[in-house]
Amino acid sequence: MTPDEKNRLLALIANPPAGSKLAAAKEYGVDLTLIAENLEMTLGERLKRASEAARFFKALQGAARRSRAEK
Amino acid sequence: MNFEQVIAILAGAGVEFVVIGGVAMSAHGLARVTQDLDVCYGRSQENIRRLARTLAPYHPRLRGAPDGLPFSFDEKTIAAGLNFTLITDLGDLDVLGEVAGIGMYPAVFAASQEVEQPAGTKWRVLTLEGLIRSKRAAGRRRDLEVIPELEALRELPPGLEKKE
Repeated sequence: MTPDEKNRLLALIANPPAGSKLAAAKEYGVDLTLIAENLEMTLGERLKRASEAARFFKALQGAARRSRAEK
Repeated sequence: MNFEQVIAILAGAGVEFVVIGGVAMSAHGLARVTQDLDVCYGRSQENIRRLARTLAPYHPRLRGAPDGLPFSFDEKTIAAGLNFTLITDLGDLDVLGEVAGIGMYPAVFAASQEVEQPAGTKWRVLTLEGLIRSKRAAGRRRDLEVIPELEALRELPPGLEKKE
């Protein structure tokens, strides 16, 4: 993504056109800045991040389960 | 689970599949955490054979089933069933013969797009439109919740994605 494209994207998500799905998503509570961040990544980078998140989430679940069992 | 690795294993073995679900959403740029890989697979006899042989080294078993329950993810089992939620040595993998709101593999294939990674791995992922259709059809709260995000992503200017 070029700096110009990034600036256009950031401007769009900061002030989405009224009545657009972007505006509706923002109103719904979607953090559009996270989508913008993801769009800056390549597909491989997105999958890597998703894999890391999945591993972290699974480890967290295991830790929580062990903690509950100890109580 | 290393999603890229599992996708590369399936694609490398020539299995006909389309990535759907949470990983497809992540591929499109959504910020969602998913633990498993969901794929829709072709139901031809040859593809079923490839799928069974490809996953066999990773010991697929039914997720949530009691220990000791006899189960073999082989050609016969796949042909007799349709959707399987599996745990494998690689992680959780859901292999589905049908996707809500879209249909069986040929329809899912038609609603997918090809992507390629630097290593040369080519695979198919459900389009944003396909994801929206499937989420709408599934109709559960957790499916409906993601639709505003998918629709927002569809409105972003084309060509913004960084190429590999």
